[in-house]
Amino acid sequence: MDLKTVYVTVGTTKFDALVAAITSEPALKALKTRQCQKLIIQHGNSLPLTEDAVQLIRDSLGLEIEQYKFRPNREDIRDADLIIGHAGAGTCMDILNNNKHGLIVINDQLMDNHQWELARQLASENYLYYSKVADLDENLATLDFNALKPYETQPENLKKFVAAVNELMS
Amino acid sequence: MTYVILGSGGHTAEMGRLTQALLQQEDATKAASYQPIRFILASSDSTSEQHLRQLLPKQATKAEFIQVPRSRSVGQSWLSSIFTTLWALLWSCYLVWRDRPQLVLCNGPGTCVPFCYAAFLWRCMGRLPSKSRIVFVESFCRVESLSLSGRLLLPLADLFVVHWPSLATRYSHKSNLRYFGRIL
Repeated sequence: MDLKTVYVTVGTTKFDALVAAITSEPALKALKTRQCQKLIIQHGNSLPLTEDAVQLIRDSLGLEIEQYKFRPNREDIRDADLIIGHAGAGTCMDILNNNKHGLIVINDQLMDNHQWELARQLASENYLYYSKVADLDENLATLDFNALKPYETQPENLKKFVAAVNELMS
Repeated sequence: MTYVILGSGGHTAEMGRLTQALLQQEDATKAASYQPIRFILASSDSTSEQHLRQLLPKQATKAEFIQVPRSRSVGQSWLSSIFTTLWALLWSCYLVWRDRPQLVLCNGPGTCVPFCYAAFLWRCMGRLPSKSRIVFVESFCRVESLSLSGRLLLPLADLFVVHWPSLATRYSHKSNLRYFGRIL
């Protein structure tokens, strides 16, 4: 499967290690091997690449890099073939609700972050993958994104909730 | 009347779906019993109202939005949080006393804590009908442990919904805590 457009998002956090890892040579080469043409990086409060670095990557690998701090990202999500993000619930839900391939990168700097719980649970149910920063390039080269399950809402469970509230109110 | 307490971002989207499910259920009489709906949102939250108005069914066009002060902003110091929390609690007590909601429905943002306590208090004092209820839906991202709001509200919510089996197992001794599988 081709990963033509890859969207990297750190949300409102500062996650320099993720931006550095995704723009490292092995990671970019792994993306290139998977036909990646464009990398969009929402870097939030993390350090972006310098203009020179962006130019260098464009020249040497033929990979387009677009960076921005914050903006409404509905279109970035919609157009992405793969979303790479931190373990924020918002990013996880964006991946699931838009049926996108997702790779959550765990921020080792934030110990005791309960948000890992959600990414880990969703990964154990095969809805997305998660990775340590150090393993990112290897995972980008080897993960089979087609093996992920689409996320489907379960209306019958929601009906059980409605029935319980109805009963409570009667 | 139903009070729906909103947070921000993901919380709002989740709450929109739950409210929609209550209002669009097949039994029209039951659906109507949740009307009118008042959405409570933090005064710093500028996007939730617009977002929800798009989600809501036609029947809920009369929904009102009320802005209240936040009990605590992210990063606020603990000392000043004490005062803002008290202020938020006073506001909650006033609004709940004034509107007497039958149902207070919330899903995790800090804003909901004072409202639930206010509803509980006024029910004990007889200002709210004895069959008024507090329903708390834990945040979707809590898989293994409860949120602070959740821990504060577990003792007084009439129905406390969790999204993941490990929480359901851990709190299986709590009769008000329920797990329906994945509802979002």
